[in-house]
Amino acid sequence: MNKIETKAFIQEKFAEYYRLNSSSIDPPSSLVNREFAFLLFKERMMLRHKGVKNVEDLRTLLKTVVPSDVYYSSAHYEKPEEEMEAKGWLGADLVFDIDADHISTPCGKKHDTWICNNCGATGRGTPPELCPTCKMQKFDDKSWLCEICLESAKRETMKLIDVLTRDFSLLPQEMTVAFSGHRGYHVHVEGEVVQTLDQMARKEIVDYMVGIGLEPIFHGLEESRGPNLAEAGWRGRIAKGTYEFLLNATTEQLEEMGLKKSVVNSLMNQRDKILESWESRGPWRTKSVGSESWKKIVQKAIENQSVKIDTVVTTDIHRLIRLTNTLHGKTGLKKTYVPVSDIERFDPLKDAIAFKEDKISLVVFEIPEFRLGDERYGPYKNMEVELPTAAALFLLCKGAAQVKEEH
Amino acid sequence: MSEQPRNDEIEILSFPIAVMMVSTTKDVFLKRRYALAEAKRAYNLLKQENKDKITQIANTFNWKIKPAKSETADFALHFTDFLRNTTGFHETKWKLVNRTMLNGEILLTRDETARLLAEEVREHIERKLDTKIGLELPQGIANRVELLQQLFWSRKGKMRLEEMPKEIVLDAFPPCIRQLYNTILSGRHISHVGRFALTTFLINSGMTVDNVVDLFRSLSDFNERMTRYQAEHIAGGRGSRTKYIPPKCDTLRTHGVCPGMDGICRRIRHPLAYYRRKLRIMQTTTETPTAQRA
Repeated sequence: MNKIETKAFIQEKFAEYYRLNSSSIDPPSSLVNREFAFLLFKERMMLRHKGVKNVEDLRTLLKTVVPSDVYYSSAHYEKPEEEMEAKGWLGADLVFDIDADHISTPCGKKHDTWICNNCGATGRGTPPELCPTCKMQKFDDKSWLCEICLESAKRETMKLIDVLTRDFSLLPQEMTVAFSGHRGYHVHVEGEVVQTLDQMARKEIVDYMVGIGLEPIFHGLEESRGPNLAEAGWRGRIAKGTYEFLLNATTEQLEEMGLKKSVVNSLMNQRDKILESWESRGPWRTKSVGSESWKKIVQKAIENQSVKIDTVVTTDIHRLIRLTNTLHGKTGLKKTYVPVSDIERFDPLKDAIAFKEDKISLVVFEIPEFRLGDERYGPYKNMEVELPTAAALFLLCKGAAQVKEEH
Repeated sequence: MSEQPRNDEIEILSFPIAVMMVSTTKDVFLKRRYALAEAKRAYNLLKQENKDKITQIANTFNWKIKPAKSETADFALHFTDFLRNTTGFHETKWKLVNRTMLNGEILLTRDETARLLAEEVREHIERKLDTKIGLELPQGIANRVELLQQLFWSRKGKMRLEEMPKEIVLDAFPPCIRQLYNTILSGRHISHVGRFALTTFLINSGMTVDNVVDLFRSLSDFNERMTRYQAEHIAGGRGSRTKYIPPKCDTLRTHGVCPGMDGICRRIRHPLAYYRRKLRIMQTTTETPTAQRA
């Protein structure tokens, strides 16, 4: 089976999904004011500027078009079908995107591979800027999704929810959290309060999340003084980040930051005393640790507490976002709602499975071990295997396998 | 407002008349200056008012504001009202990330609240100035408007904007643009925001669409038709016909395009302002030897 036939096979499965599950496709709020867009399987082209009148319209479209990916606009428009300038922007949801691509994960993305388009050299991890063999710079990369990546993304999402809840005072019911179906999570905030925020205001919210432009002096870091754990907003976060950093820091880490030997020794030798100090004034008066050293430490604290969101998505007030309960063309998993109160227990590799029946015989090229649902599969290398539909589609969508020809 | 007692009737009537006069000039720059002047005046009056009065005035703008339960602050203001009125400010203390926020509220001193209210006043007046006036001004007033406008333009003439040089001066590029430019030259990939910043910068500093397209030619995923379309769009030759300018420094920082500031960066807020300033500096330094000889 060649590449095109694999695509047709995937599309057929997607068609089956939309035939059986179209009633699970919920309309976004203000449905008639949204732009819809469909990435087409065969043409790899985006069909844009679609408007729908009601949810049945939308479901019928999905069943007839059977796109590889389905998007809708975070923006509300007077006329969603017009070209951009004539749409009449009314407002936009506040959207956050957390993707493993933007987080330096402990797995080091060793599971991702790249191949140089020019000379065919291959490697693991994020593609280099220049091919080490031929110095060209065009690569095809294959990203995998591992549990460590997904867990890191989930941790960041939880940090985001914490900031939105405590600092921004949003209620769980005002937020929609979803697993994207690939390597990340989306958080949507709707409602009048955020609807009309302009790009500059959203940029300020991004800077707040990521800690860009944060100056510790505004959060109480002064000579021999600093914020404490019980304080609100970034004050408390700086304290918490400093606490955690000092709790776990090694001598090497501290030296790498350019701290003086005497400072490093003082921090390492007095660790217990420093931890106790948080109950009163904090560690800011620790002997031989001056304000310049604290600035460096606090910088680490800010990095640790900042939420790794995609800065472009949140500031873009015309963004297209994947529609919940539709399939992700790179995995065959579905974008899935995550209950805010129960996010800890959410398992993307189980809860986002869209296909639960049947098995498919494949020829798998080369893949690392992976889990889907409660089962582990692989590693496989040039092997024929029979897999449950979800696992098989996952490999087909990833371009890591072919359907075995029937004889 | 409790300023020194003046004739109330004159005070109350002078405002709508002033608005009417400025409004009929249809001069954007003049309108902005007037609104700013009124806002400054409002700030000076507001910061002396007591908390109740400030709250009342804030309420007329539908602010979600209440007294702060804090020793160091006077008011707690909802973050949306804060953002709406601070995104034009440049001091770092107005950045959301540098404020203490709890329960969706920002703590403010009385003086800071007055500053934000003044900003609201400025926008309020700007909106007022944009409403169309259906009647013609009596000759006497019209003459005065004419006079004021002449006076204004004779002064504004001194603030004329400097012309961009015809040739692109690479040495005057800000660090961010220089880095993007070099990255592209070496055929390496840059982010969407980076591409937009570079293209808008080059177009605005006078590079032709053809030359911009050529620059991107070394990229491995170069697509002439697409690149040309985008460059022409940015230059204002397509679609909405708006000419785009590069994002502000602050925005470039948010998206990780800013590689860090140099001495000039600290004095400007926009890559194009950097370019103009650097050109000026380069000019004066090359002119100095001549001056010494003379």
